[in-house]
Amino acid sequence: MTTGNREDYLINILRLTDSKGGVVRTSELAAFMDVAPASVTEMVRALSEAGLVDYQKYKGVSLTDAGREYAMNIRRKHHIVERFLTDVLDVDHDEAHEEACRIEHSMSDNTANKFCRIIGTRQDHDCATCGDPCNRDEDCPTLETVEPGTKARISHLRGDSASNVKKLLSMGFVPGREVSVVSRIGNGPCVLSLGESTIAIDSELASAVYLDCDAGTAQ
Amino acid sequence: MPSGRDIQVALIGQPNVGKSSLFTRLTGVGVISSNYPGTTVEFEEATVLRGGGRLHVHDLPGTYSLSTNSADEDVVIDMLLDSENDAVVLVADAMNLESGLALCIEVMELGIPVVVALNRIDVAVRHRQMDIDGLSRELGVPVIPVSAKTGQGIEELLDCLVEGGPRVSGYRPDYDDHIIEYAGMVEGMLRDTRVDPSGLSIKLLEGAGRFAELITPEERERVEALREEFLRIHGDSIDIHIAKDRFAAASGIVDRCVTKTARKRTRAEVISDYTITPSTGIPILALVILGILAVIIYGGSWISGLVEEAYGLIVGDILLDFGESLGGDFWPAVMSGLNESFIGILTLVIPYIMVFYIILGILEDTGYLPRVVVLLDSLMHRFGLHGGGFIPLIVGLGCNVPAVLATRSLSSRRERLIACCMIVLAVPCSAQIAIIFGATGAEAGIQYALLIMGVLLVIGMAAGLLLNRKLPSEPSSLAMEIPDLTVPQAKNVLFKMWSRTKDFFSIAVPLLIVGGVVIELLIAYNLLDPIVQPLSFITEGLLGLPAVAIVALLMGIIRKEMAYAILLVLLGGATLTPDQFVVFGAVMAIYMPCLATLAVMGREIGWKDTAVVALSSIVVAILVGTAFNYGLRLF
Ligand SMILES: Nc1nc2c(ncn2[C@@H]2O[C@H](COP(=O)(O)OP(=O)(O)OP(=O)(O)O)[C@@H](O)[C@H]2O)c(=O)[nH]1
Repeated sequence: MTTGNREDYLINILRLTDSKGGVVRTSELAAFMDVAPASVTEMVRALSEAGLVDYQKYKGVSLTDAGREYAMNIRRKHHIVERFLTDVLDVDHDEAHEEACRIEHSMSDNTANKFCRIIGTRQDHDCATCGDPCNRDEDCPTLETVEPGTKARISHLRGDSASNVKKLLSMGFVPGREVSVVSRIGNGPCVLSLGESTIAIDSELASAVYLDCDAGTAQ
Repeated sequence: MPSGRDIQVALIGQPNVGKSSLFTRLTGVGVISSNYPGTTVEFEEATVLRGGGRLHVHDLPGTYSLSTNSADEDVVIDMLLDSENDAVVLVADAMNLESGLALCIEVMELGIPVVVALNRIDVAVRHRQMDIDGLSRELGVPVIPVSAKTGQGIEELLDCLVEGGPRVSGYRPDYDDHIIEYAGMVEGMLRDTRVDPSGLSIKLLEGAGRFAELITPEERERVEALREEFLRIHGDSIDIHIAKDRFAAASGIVDRCVTKTARKRTRAEVISDYTITPSTGIPILALVILGILAVIIYGGSWISGLVEEAYGLIVGDILLDFGESLGGDFWPAVMSGLNESFIGILTLVIPYIMVFYIILGILEDTGYLPRVVVLLDSLMHRFGLHGGGFIPLIVGLGCNVPAVLATRSLSSRRERLIACCMIVLAVPCSAQIAIIFGATGAEAGIQYALLIMGVLLVIGMAAGLLLNRKLPSEPSSLAMEIPDLTVPQAKNVLFKMWSRTKDFFSIAVPLLIVGGVVIELLIAYNLLDPIVQPLSFITEGLLGLPAVAIVALLMGIIRKEMAYAILLVLLGGATLTPDQFVVFGAVMAIYMPCLATLAVMGREIGWKDTAVVALSSIVVAILVGTAFNYGLRLF
């Protein structure tokens, strides 16, 4: 039995249990996945041994915490690939779904994160239910947190004050542009190089500029 | 182009791209230009006659974009929307084309005829290859490389303007489908508009306040609903997406039309790093301040001696002899009074005021000031200002009037109020500096001049701290572009010095003559005492000055440097004691802004606050003067 196969089961259990309060019968799962009930029982046993699902004979299958986390990660990759294919490559939705079902198993977390960033910060319904949405603010470093010398792309802007965001935009702090931190004066302003300008902004503004997640954070 | 026509054009560009310098080149009318963002806060207009037509050129404050809802931007937008305006000269910095083009695209979207002036081409040719034709083709408007420094391209630009060269461009950035969809919805509901409807839709979606005033409240509400909907669905506000696409468009054009030649780090960049890194920057700042003080103190007194000698050689006893020749008691008194005060004022203005303006001009043109802004940002935050507040304070050392205007670069009213208060109370203008160093310093000892400066510093900080605590807090944040360091051009520095001091010769000297005659008249008819006596409890009682000093102080409200000159007339040959000079210098430095400052301040921050600030300056001045008076007696 391949990992891909196991992961397919996990993600489908997740799909069914999400909307049905946690437990799904093996017969339902078999019908949903269009496989023989016997194979389902066999796989569920294996998954249960691996500690990924709880299986009670007459009640059905539910995900353990570990299984849930595993499944969510796969679903996240599925969604990222799907979105990448539809949004960026303009692939038809059904086709994208099929492709995503295959790619989701072989993609590393790291690559998934990078794909995610290309898609940008636009969140849709799936992102809202995602356990680990891409570009979550707290995951990304900001101009305030990175070390001087860091060079990174701006991923998005977010701040309490709309006028601050506007000010930043007008000075050229827009997602996608590359910025590097030249120096920082104490806890105060930092001097940045953006395009061909050198700009100083203070820490409040700097904290509204989020950078790509792989930019170094301050220790 | 039909001859005899009037053409209105506006210079629009980002801060510090060289609009003011270009304006001077185009029109021959000198306006002040400096190497930091925010020099121009008031707009200038001048007319050029050319090819039988009249070209009216407007210099506007610099703006990064047209959608942040700042006061400066409103001025620019109003000009753009003004139906009288025929075209826009979009001034872009050839060394920083990307952000210049982003603004250019914003203006072009409004359907306004544009010509791009690609400034600083003198520097750019050394560092990059630019495909000017390609740029012009992509943008769909003429692009003319110019240099406000060397004068290159100015004639072509003028020709282009009078010949109706500016074009309305059809260029639009490649907006994301979602944006197009929303813009379409907005456009669909707009009825006849004065601006290009698709451009206007984008501006409305960006939440640009000035543009929202062009539509009805109902339409505004619907646009707001669309903005909110976009935010809900996409998780980001639409302004961000629009700006992103616009910059992407600009950067695409730059990629296709500009090839940068690799270059080494210049010496200026290395020095720049030292000035901006705290461990080296703070010592450098301290050295700069000490250097300036040394030039004022030693340079000032040396030149002062020269001026006095020159006055003796050139004018000599002419005034005195003239007075004698008129006979009687009155005219000789007038003439000797004037003689004294001319010497007094010339030895202040030429050595101290003019020298100070040269120093200020150099500071402004090197591009050093924005670096100080960065270093002092944290300190200025304690006074409720951000580092940018430092620039008006420095400008105030020259003259408080432009300093009050320069506070426009601070965004909130609160910051402007604090800055104005600090300027009026604690920033001595060049005339006051001249009195502190040239009168008090020369007569009572330089340590007293420095003591007064120290007291002013304390007063300024106290005022800042107090106001920051008192006024309801509002966040303020620094965002300032740091220009490259450059070597100032002597011509510009001297031009600025002259245009900032020429008033003295055209206004102060006549004023001094009239004032001198009036005072002698009052003395001759015994009217002076009744005027000065009622306030003698302050002058004589608290401050320990002669009662007549009140007249000098009042004259000082008209023009600060007059106070000292008039004092010399009043004293008629007598002089103050060193202690009195200290008190006089301190009171002069603090009390009451001059009329011109009051007038701009009233206009800029409102009359009520201006009155409060002015009155408190009088109170503080009297308190400090009294403290000096009694303090000095103790020692
Ligand atoms: N080398 C070079 N320097 C220039 C040129 N044009 C302007 N400068 C310099 O750029 C600096 C800024 O010029 P300003 O004319 O004050 O710029 P501005 O756009 O009016 O600035 P704000 O009023 O602050 O918006 C000054 O130090 C000028 O000397 C040019 O063509 N070449």
